[in-house]
Amino acid sequence: MAKKRKWWSGLLVLSLVGVLFTGCSTNNTAGSSTNAPAATTAPAESAAPEATEAPAADAPVDGGTLVTSSFSDIVNINPLLVNDTASGDVAQFVFAKLYNLDREGNVQAEDWSLAAALPEISEDGLTYTVKLKDTAKWSDGQPVVADDVIYTIETAKNKETGSPLISQYDKVKTVEKVDDHTVKFTMSQIYAPFLYALVQEIVPAHVLKDVKPTEMQKNPFGTDPAKTVTSGPWKWTAWKQGESHTMDADPNYWGTVKPHIAQVIYKIYADQNTEVQAIMKGDTDHISAIPVTQVEAVKADGKIDIIQKPGAQYEYVMFNFDGKNFPDNYGLFAGQKTRQAIAHALNRQGMVDNILKGIGALMNAPFLPDTWADPGDAAVNYDYNAETAKKLLAEDGWVAGKDGILTKDGHRFSFELQYNAGNSRREQVASVIQQNLKDVGIEVKPKAIDFAAWIDQNVTPGKFQALLLAWSLNTPDPDAESIFSSKYFPPAGQNSGWYKNEKLDKLWVDGYSTVDQAKRKEIYKEVGKEISTDLPYVFLYQYGQAIGTGPRVHWAEEDAPEPSLGYGQFFHAIKWWVTE
Amino acid sequence: MTEYLIRRVLQSVLVIFLITILTFLLIHAAPGGPTQVMLAPGLTPEIFEQQAKNLGLDQPIHIQYIHWIGDLLQGDLGYTFKNHIAISDLLWPRIGNTIILMGAAWLVSLLIAIPWGIYNSTKVYGLSDQTASFISYLGFAMPTFWFGILLQQWLSLKLDWFPLSDMHTRGKEDSIADLFMHLVLPVTVLALGFLASYMKYARASMLEVLDQDYIRTARAKGVKERKVVFRHALRNALIPIITILGLDLPILVGGAALTENVFNWPGMGRWFVEMATAREYSALMAVTIVTAVMVVIGNLLADILYVVVDPRVKLGKQGGKAA
Repeated sequence: MAKKRKWWSGLLVLSLVGVLFTGCSTNNTAGSSTNAPAATTAPAESAAPEATEAPAADAPVDGGTLVTSSFSDIVNINPLLVNDTASGDVAQFVFAKLYNLDREGNVQAEDWSLAAALPEISEDGLTYTVKLKDTAKWSDGQPVVADDVIYTIETAKNKETGSPLISQYDKVKTVEKVDDHTVKFTMSQIYAPFLYALVQEIVPAHVLKDVKPTEMQKNPFGTDPAKTVTSGPWKWTAWKQGESHTMDADPNYWGTVKPHIAQVIYKIYADQNTEVQAIMKGDTDHISAIPVTQVEAVKADGKIDIIQKPGAQYEYVMFNFDGKNFPDNYGLFAGQKTRQAIAHALNRQGMVDNILKGIGALMNAPFLPDTWADPGDAAVNYDYNAETAKKLLAEDGWVAGKDGILTKDGHRFSFELQYNAGNSRREQVASVIQQNLKDVGIEVKPKAIDFAAWIDQNVTPGKFQALLLAWSLNTPDPDAESIFSSKYFPPAGQNSGWYKNEKLDKLWVDGYSTVDQAKRKEIYKEVGKEISTDLPYVFLYQYGQAIGTGPRVHWAEEDAPEPSLGYGQFFHAIKWWVTE
Repeated sequence: MTEYLIRRVLQSVLVIFLITILTFLLIHAAPGGPTQVMLAPGLTPEIFEQQAKNLGLDQPIHIQYIHWIGDLLQGDLGYTFKNHIAISDLLWPRIGNTIILMGAAWLVSLLIAIPWGIYNSTKVYGLSDQTASFISYLGFAMPTFWFGILLQQWLSLKLDWFPLSDMHTRGKEDSIADLFMHLVLPVTVLALGFLASYMKYARASMLEVLDQDYIRTARAKGVKERKVVFRHALRNALIPIITILGLDLPILVGGAALTENVFNWPGMGRWFVEMATAREYSALMAVTIVTAVMVVIGNLLADILYVVVDPRVKLGKQGGKAA
C-alpha cells in the first residue's frame, strides 16, 4: 500500500471542513429549541400595542416602507373578481371604497371613502341615494363619477361576469345616474343588508367599459400593475409573481388625509411558519395571522406586538339531513334530540381553551357574539355534559349495541366527519369530537380531504354525512338566508346539509325585509332561539387570528388593527407610520 | 453517432407526446378545478361554473388538449386560468432560480462526495470511511425541512450570520455577494442530502473496480498505488457515477419543494406544489414538459459520456450499447 500523500490529506481536510460544518450545526442547534417558555402576561385584548420606540404615538412621520406578508399570492385584485384573501389584502391598499366600516362595524363615509355622506334611504326602504365626493380621482387623473358606480354594480350583477359580488346586488332593480356625482339605487324588495353591500371598491368605467363580461377574467386590469388604474392612497407599482407586491403612495391621491407610509411591500411566503420566522428576524413588519401554536414563542421573543381577539369567523359541525348519504337511506341526524345530545357531548369550551389557546368565544347561533344581532340568552346554550347527552340519545331511541356503539332500528350510530386536509386546527378539533362522541357511544370517523376536491365532490353537491368547516363573514350583517334556507339547496345554493325548517325560512325573509334595526334585532333573537333548538349545525365557537407587528410600525390608539372586521388587520393603515 | 442521435431524439419526441396526453388526462381527472378557491357565504357554485365557462374549462377534455398542444407547437405554453398570466413569464424565472440553487448544491456535493468516496474506497473502514458513513446516514435519515429549520434557528435567528430566507435582500437584487449569502443555508441542506448518495456510489464503484483482475495484476507488477488508482481504476469507476449523474439531471430544474418552502426560495418545486393545489392545468403541463425534456437530455448525455470515458462502448445501431 502506498503512503498517504499530501494531496489526499488536503482533500480530506477540505471535505471534512465542509461536512463538519453541517455535522456540528445539528449538534449545536439541537439546544436552541423553538419551544420558548410561555410569556407570563398576555397583552390586554384589543388595546393598541404601545409603540416600543420613539417617536411617541402622537408624532407621525412621513416616508418609509412597511413590509407585510402573506402565505399566498393574489389571483386578481380587480374588485369585481376578488375572491381570495391575498387579492383582498392588496386591493385594500390601492382601491377606495364607496363607504368604510368603523371599528364597531357601522357603515361610515370616512375621509378616504368615495361617498360624501351616508346614503339617503327612502321612507319605503326601497331607494338608496349615494352622493360621491367631487374631489375623488383615479390614478390616471380621471374623476370618479356616477358612471363608475353604475358600471361596477351592473357588471357585478351580470351573470356572465362570474363575479362573487352577484349575491350582494341581485336584489337591486335599477342603478340610475342622478347627476355626475349622485347615484340612485332602487331595490326590487326591502333588503336591509344592502347598506353593507355599499362597503365596496369601485372600478373605473372609462377603462373597462368595452370589456365583455365574459372576458373580464382574462383582462389585465387587476393582474398587471401597469394596466390597473386605482383610486386609493397607494398605487400598485410592481408584482413579482410568487414573491412580492410593491405599492407606492400615490402623489396625486385625492383624499385630505394622506398616507404617511411611502411604500407598502406585500411579501409572499411559502407558509405561515416561514412568515412567522421572517417577522421575528425583522425581515417583515406585519403579519396578519400567527398560528395559535406559535403565538407563545412569538410573545416570548418580546420584539413583536400581538393583537389577539376573535374575528369575523366561526367554526361549526354541519349535519346532513339527506338520507341518501347514509346506508339504507337512514339519516342518522333526523332526531332533534339526537342533535341536541351531540351538542351537549362536545366539549366546546375545552376546544377554545386548549386548541385556540383561549382566543375564541362560544356560539349558539350564526351571529357573532357582542354584535347587535347576538341573541344572547335567547339562544339555547349546550353545556358540556355527557350524562345529559346520553339521556337525550336514550329518549330518542338509541340503545347501546354489543360493541358499545349505539344502535337504533338496526343501524349503528357511526358516521364520517369530513374536513379539509392541511388545517392543523381542524385536525385537532376533529379528534376531540371523535373522543367526545365516543364517550357517549357514537363512532366518528374523521376524514381529511384536499380542499379543492372536497368542495367540488362533497360540499357543493351536499354529499357527506357530517363536516367540520367555518364561515368567514364578509359583511357584518346578520342575514344568513343563503346558507340555512331551503331555497338554497345544492347544487345551486350553499345549504349543503339539505336543512329544511319552514319557520326559519320565513324568519330569514322577515329579517331582511325591514330596515328598522330594533325590529330586526327581535327577529334575529327569534332566529337564534329556533336555530339553536333545532340545530342544523352544532355552532362551536368564533375564532380569530393573532395579528403581529414589529417595532417599526406605529399608530394612534384609534387606528389600531381591528381583528373583528374583515381585513381589519389593516384598519386605518392610511394613518399608520413607520420609523427606522 | 449522428444517426443514433437523430433516432434517439425522434423517439424522445414521441415519448414526450405520449407523456403529455397521459399527464393531461391525469391532471384533469383530479377533482376540483382552477376556479374553486374560496368558500364564503354568497359564493354559490353558479359563480364558479360561470367562471369556468368564461375560461373555456367547460369544453370537452379532448378539445382542451387539442387547443393546448396546438398552442405548444407554436411555442406558446398557455396562460394561468385564474388570472390569465402567460406561463412563460412565470416558468422561466423560476427555472433560473432553481438552477442556481440546485446547481450550487449539486456542485458542492459532487466536489466533496466523489474525491472523498474514492479516497475511502482505498482505506475501507478507516476513520475517514466511518465518518463518511455516519454523514451518509445522517443525510439519508434527516428530513431536509427539519434540518433547514434548525440551521435557520441557529445560524440566522440566533447568530445572525446568514439571511433567514429569500434569494436577495430587498434593494440588493443585483449583488452576487448577497445572493451567495442567501445560498449558504439552503445549499448546505440540499448538499447534505446529495452527498450521502454520491459518496456511497463513488466508494462502491471504486471498490468494485479495485477488485478486478487487471488491478491485481498492476499491483503485482509493482505499479505505484497512486498510479493504480488514478491511471487504471478511476476512469472505469466513473462510468456508473456518470450514468447516475445523467439520470439525476432533472433535479436541476425540478427543484426541491420542501427546502424551497423553508427558505422561501422562489423556485420550481414550490411553484409546482402551488400550481397543483390551485389546479392550474397549463402550468402543471409546462412543468411536465420541462421535466420530461430534462429526463430525455439526461439519459442521452449519460449515454454519450459513457462513450467518452469507456472506449469499449460503441453506440450501436439499435440505440443500445455494445460492450
